[in-house]
Amino acid sequence: MTSLILKWLAAFAAALVLQTSFVPVISIARVGPDLPLVVLFFFCIRHGMTLGICVGFFLGLGLDLYSPSLLGQNALAATMAGAFAGFFNERTMRTDPLVKSALLLVVFIVHDSIFLAVQSLKLDGPVSAVFGGLLFHCLPRALYSIAVAGLWYARDFLPKRLAKR
Amino acid sequence: MQWILRFFVVHRSLTSLFVASLLCVLMLSSPPARQQWISRALTMSVFYPFQFYFSQTERIKNIYAENRRLKEQVAFLSVKVAQLTENVRENERLTDLLGISSRFSFTLAPARVVARDPSYLSRSAIIDVGKNEGVAAYMPVITSRGVAGKIVQAMGRMSLVQLLVDPANRTGVMIGRSRETGILETVNGSDFSIMFRAHADVEVGDTIVTSGLGGIYPKGLLAGTVTKLEEGRDPIFKKAFVKLEVNLDRLEEVFVIKQPSQWAAFRDELDSLEAAP
Repeated sequence: MTSLILKWLAAFAAALVLQTSFVPVISIARVGPDLPLVVLFFFCIRHGMTLGICVGFFLGLGLDLYSPSLLGQNALAATMAGAFAGFFNERTMRTDPLVKSALLLVVFIVHDSIFLAVQSLKLDGPVSAVFGGLLFHCLPRALYSIAVAGLWYARDFLPKRLAKR
Repeated sequence: MQWILRFFVVHRSLTSLFVASLLCVLMLSSPPARQQWISRALTMSVFYPFQFYFSQTERIKNIYAENRRLKEQVAFLSVKVAQLTENVRENERLTDLLGISSRFSFTLAPARVVARDPSYLSRSAIIDVGKNEGVAAYMPVITSRGVAGKIVQAMGRMSLVQLLVDPANRTGVMIGRSRETGILETVNGSDFSIMFRAHADVEVGDTIVTSGLGGIYPKGLLAGTVTKLEEGRDPIFKKAFVKLEVNLDRLEEVFVIKQPSQWAAFRDELDSLEAAP
């Protein structure tokens, strides 16, 4: 149990460190993957909704404290994303990488919708900004993140394919 | 009460979602001052270990950036130091040359070597002074340490110097101590020798200076040192091997002694002799 906690703590810590150090380097047109959200997704589909909500809340809260966003904005978005990903956990669904990728895309959309909606409400911005943000920011970021997450699947997937050949 | 607890346990996912969402909404709806207070309280308590961790990673990031900046600075300063060292060496050389200029009563034209004979044995060099500076053929070329060669061709702004290493070059020299005269010559461009009569007073370590008898070099310019004496089969002569004083492979700044050849007075007669059938 302790090793499991440490493993996930290390995963989140690594994701946060890479997000601040490595992601800006690999960003294309200021669009880069959201590694903490990807790790949160993997955590939630592995450990379920309750833990996903708790971890998402604290992860979002931590991001709120260290980013210039409204306090609670990231927390709410990550909580909802964690709840959504946790609902489709591995105990209740097949663990096909393609399905996971699709789910990850939806998780990103849920997360960014809530994030942008809160921003729009608090700062009295236009609703169209939410859709604009989803289309031009969320979607590329989600696709990039799915591509990065694909590297994780590739670790288990490629050797099997190669072995078949 | 038990009913409530059971509800929480059974619907713990929904409960946690509700509580987390409620907390988020409360934080979002609180005034900015309260938000700041919550942020500070959380940063100082719950998130302190993470804050410490992130401050360390940020510090490491800064260290990397500083390390990179310092490396660039070191590279820049290394180049600067190399340039300054080169300047110091050049200054020393030029100071030496100025020393020579004060020692000799000749008019000296300072010059830089701008090109060398590309062959393995550099027999000649081109310097950046020529007829415009009053340089003419057969003028001696020296360095701060001694004789280097002579001008064989003077052009407008540059001149060709025949160095001592050229086997075609023969220089009238004498032993500084005993005043025995001879001709400094080389066959291969690296070994220099002077043939003396067998009974000449020559010893290893003797200083060789120009004799002034060749018509080109003034008397008394340092040429080299006797390193070895060889008694040949010929009982009449002995051979003194000489190490040149000037390192001709590293020639950079030189002086041209603006002294016309002593043959200049006989130039017309010499030319008429050459022209005669």
